[in-house]
Amino acid sequence: MTGSIILLAIGKNPLIYFGLLFTRGMGSSLGVIESIIKMIPLLIISSGLLACFSAGLWNIGTDGQFLIGAMLAGWAAPWISNALPYPAYLITIALLGILGGMAWILLPAVLKARYDINEIITTLMMSWVAVNLVTWLVKGPINDLSTVPAQTPLIPSAYRLPMIPFTRIHVGLIIGIATLLGIHWIIRKTTLGYQFRVMLMNKKAAMHAGMSVPHLTVYGLLISGGLAGLAGAGDVLAVKGLFQGNWNPQYGMTAIPLVFLARLNGWAVIPLAFFFSFLAIGGEFVARDLGVPVFFVHVLEGLTLLFFAASEYFEKKWMHR
Amino acid sequence: MNALFESALITAICASTLRGTTPILLAALGEAYAERSGLLNLGIEGMMVAGAFSSFVVALKMNSLFSGFVFAAAVGLTMGLVFGILTIILGVNQIVVGLGLTIFARSMCSFLHRVIFGNQFPILFGAGGTSEIPLLSQVPVIGQALFNQHWLVYLTFSMVPIMYILMYKTRFGLRVRAVGEAPRAADACGVSVYRTRFYAILLGGLLASLGGAFLALGDLAFFVPDMIMGRGYIAIVVVMLGKWNPVRVCFGGLLFGFALALTSALQVAGIKISPDFILMTPYLVVIVTLVLFARSSNLPSALCIPYQRENR
Repeated sequence: MTGSIILLAIGKNPLIYFGLLFTRGMGSSLGVIESIIKMIPLLIISSGLLACFSAGLWNIGTDGQFLIGAMLAGWAAPWISNALPYPAYLITIALLGILGGMAWILLPAVLKARYDINEIITTLMMSWVAVNLVTWLVKGPINDLSTVPAQTPLIPSAYRLPMIPFTRIHVGLIIGIATLLGIHWIIRKTTLGYQFRVMLMNKKAAMHAGMSVPHLTVYGLLISGGLAGLAGAGDVLAVKGLFQGNWNPQYGMTAIPLVFLARLNGWAVIPLAFFFSFLAIGGEFVARDLGVPVFFVHVLEGLTLLFFAASEYFEKKWMHR
Repeated sequence: MNALFESALITAICASTLRGTTPILLAALGEAYAERSGLLNLGIEGMMVAGAFSSFVVALKMNSLFSGFVFAAAVGLTMGLVFGILTIILGVNQIVVGLGLTIFARSMCSFLHRVIFGNQFPILFGAGGTSEIPLLSQVPVIGQALFNQHWLVYLTFSMVPIMYILMYKTRFGLRVRAVGEAPRAADACGVSVYRTRFYAILLGGLLASLGGAFLALGDLAFFVPDMIMGRGYIAIVVVMLGKWNPVRVCFGGLLFGFALALTSALQVAGIKISPDFILMTPYLVVIVTLVLFARSSNLPSALCIPYQRENR
């Protein structure tokens, strides 16, 4: 609605815009496939966030952990691919991504656990450090000097992630959905998940019940950091094929609110993630057709977030009656 | 000759520290009140972008810097109002609303910038003028640095003691602190939690937007969509560093302004460190200072918790 008013104000027909957005984003197989591919990192990051948000820990710096994972994958893949057999190589890169993400959240996690230093701030700061660090690394130490833009060497397509049979979607989708539902299951059905949820409800109660809050804090944050790093490694290995300086897709900006909107429910994350990636992809297509700047999609994304969030209130009110 | 160069460098670093601190400090002072009242405003980044963009467009089109600032103030108040309605009245999660507002404002400004200016980045002539304070500006070395600045710089720094008194010596400040610490008790004493929080977030929005406007009109005289570069988040950090006390917040802001100034000074001085590497330092400074000084953060108890009168 509000989006239409904005479009009218700049003299574009909103009906055509939204019509095209849907036909391009959902109507064509290309749109659907692109949206699904775009959804994969969101799914993996969200599953990590699901774990730490369920414990009342706010990891706002997933972008940094993502970049570190991606950078490590881009740096290591070209030479590991020659040294190891294909499956071992994939697992090594995935582990590297996870470890990179974990390493990047280790400091905030320990600070939170030991000194109760607010993790919102430290993760956010570490994220900015990561942005600058990877840019510096890519321009210097790990630069592939044969190309003009600062980037790591291209990973040959034989060493990318394999596709799901009969589709053009890489296996990251399966990994993403599996991790998401796995974490969902851990949170709802296991002791660790139960302890996380007690921590969210009441930290003091958790302490008095004999749970080790510092340990749980570190676990929760490490899981989310590691998965964000995995998402980064996956994106490099499957979609980008290399790591570039100044590349920061900022998935966290979408994933963080998304997990809230899903109310910490793994199943609800999937359609929401698809919706937001559909918006992004559809918007990119339409931007080319209609000359509406591509930023408009993010305007829509922000508006949708705010409206979804507000609608939660009305829903709650309606349920109470 | 060398001594002359050194004193000039010190003057330049002092001056750019103050200029760099101003937008962060403005936003941080407002955010200190918002957080004290129990609202974590992650939308501050978006509010700064909106302030920068709106003030720039209005100042350019109406050819008047003053109307640019006025318009930015109006935009900031509006965004504060939106944040307030969503989080205070509807009780929606503050982190979601903050990030949503930031995404919205940032992309809206990029979008409108493209619509209005196409691919051009016009420069606003006449912006960034300084006003010299007679006599004081003649003091050697620091005179030019401290007393030849934009009027908003003076205003910002003179606001620090006012904000301090407002927070600790007046009824309004007491209410803000009470509402963030124990909203139910404050409500029982007849303080309107909603209204107090609204005042705090309106102040926060206003100051954040003005901070953005200063960056566009007072410091740089142009607008590029990603010019805020995380300063909104830095403001939040500064508030936490300063433990919600305006005077300490000012010191935190100066620390950051100094790191920023040093970044450019080292580049000018030709010291061979990559700019990306230097740009990391302010953030590392925050982490280190948090580790050293803010061992226990003592957050306002009701931070991020919506208050609902009917659920007792």
